[in-house]
Amino acid sequence: MNTFLSAIFSGTSRGAIFALVALGLVIVWRGAGIVNFAQMGQAMFSTYIASTLISNGNSYWIGFVVALISGAALGSLLDVLVMRPLSNKKKTELLSSESMRAAVPVIATLGILGVLQALAGIIWAAEERGFPAPAKQEGFTVAGNVMPFTAFDVFVIGSVAVTLILTTLFFKKTGMGLAMRATALNQEVAKLSGIRTNRTRTLSWAISGAASSLAGLLLTPSSNLSPNTLDLALLIGFTAAVVGGLDSPAGAVLGGFILGMVISFVTFYDTPEDVFLAILAVLLIALIVKPRGILGSRDSRRV
Amino acid sequence: MLKVENLVTKFGSVIALDGVSLSAQDSKITTVIGANGAGKSTLLRTISGLEHPSSGMISWQGESIVGRRPEDIVRMGIAHVPEGHAVIAELSVEENISMGSLFRRRKFKSDVQVAMDEAYQLFPRLQERRKQLAGTLSGGERQMLAISRALVSRPKLLLLDEPSLGLAPLVVEQIIDSVNTLCRTTGLTVLLVEQNANTALGVADHGVLLALGKVVADRPAAELKADATLRAAYLGY
Repeated sequence: MNTFLSAIFSGTSRGAIFALVALGLVIVWRGAGIVNFAQMGQAMFSTYIASTLISNGNSYWIGFVVALISGAALGSLLDVLVMRPLSNKKKTELLSSESMRAAVPVIATLGILGVLQALAGIIWAAEERGFPAPAKQEGFTVAGNVMPFTAFDVFVIGSVAVTLILTTLFFKKTGMGLAMRATALNQEVAKLSGIRTNRTRTLSWAISGAASSLAGLLLTPSSNLSPNTLDLALLIGFTAAVVGGLDSPAGAVLGGFILGMVISFVTFYDTPEDVFLAILAVLLIALIVKPRGILGSRDSRRV
Repeated sequence: MLKVENLVTKFGSVIALDGVSLSAQDSKITTVIGANGAGKSTLLRTISGLEHPSSGMISWQGESIVGRRPEDIVRMGIAHVPEGHAVIAELSVEENISMGSLFRRRKFKSDVQVAMDEAYQLFPRLQERRKQLAGTLSGGERQMLAISRALVSRPKLLLLDEPSLGLAPLVVEQIIDSVNTLCRTTGLTVLLVEQNANTALGVADHGVLLALGKVVADRPAAELKADATLRAAYLGY
């Protein structure tokens, strides 16, 4: 029973972080039509910035806020400097086939990932370092028993919940949110309505960058920080987004929690070595049974 | 006034517009008619900035608009309702309409709601359905929605592409009537592209007949409507 409860708690907390990673992927997918493989590289980079600030004597919260801001800044910068010139119609007419035109930006994100990891290795040296958590990582004690639920878990779930509520409100209630949804759904109609689609696309990179930086900050206290630490998180987040539906923010969150539970139960009841296998199995099952995702729209592109 | 001179638009090696010249007079309805593939839609798409012309001139109120982005052209008072009832099916009716006035919400804050109410007044059915997703609307309602979206941007020139496409004659009449009333009461300039020549020439002041990317006739609408030879040669009836 205790193992079961532990698995549930740990699954919820991890699931919340994967939901965030998946949400970041979905936001860029909807806003720019690209699966951003560099996403967790960006998160790693801003987590390193936070780590440097904190080890230089600043408080955790300064590092936290600066990481979120630099995550958003790096995201927008990548869009403006790399992705926008690539999607510029006149230039890519050189690439005549539609599939090439769709593939080139995605391959570019892989290149960005490589560059970011190499840069981080050069700047911060490639060995692992620890990263602090803002709250205790020992379980709460209730009536003398140590519970499998920590103050850090509360912080994780709380901050993810706040992020989800804020992004939902932003998309549903603000004019800029409407402009972003319109751009994602039909770029031509959005442009004809006067929406500056270049800007809304950059904004989706910024929001996604900030969200995944938060995920990086929440993941690294339990796994240490190195240029490659967040690679697995990208794989899990991608699987979560595919399971839930790559074009559905709600689906991303659902997929994140499903993956969190799967990983947690495999870790507690089997062995942590099988986690990787389990993720691939989930991805495979999702692609066979529901290639559009649980909440994916009917006419969305299959993965 | 909108003036188009020697406009050439190509898609690869295909020449869609082959030196088109025409103008749309202020507060009048000018219609561009012609068979499928004559270049009618390309003409509107080039004016609104969705396609880039390889040569030629487009001027609006004395200013050249070639090379400007669609987002900026809307801001200059030219609203384009593209072919095929272009609405966003996954957004609500209200969201579709307010999308068209997003760029005005800071500078003209007080007018945004007024413009929206006017659109609902013009097409009351949209107000009844304002919370519904646009995807649940009928073809006619979608066309009304697409026009409303354009109108809330407060255009001086409305580019209307085949509003009759796939709609029942009664609905077409209702939509064309609304546009006609709008032009006559508010002084809106309309450039109407239609395959349905009779309907279009019935309300228009001026008619331009396009065939294979070239202008073959440019006359007052009534005159064009009466010309049986042209109709037989280019429109097939």
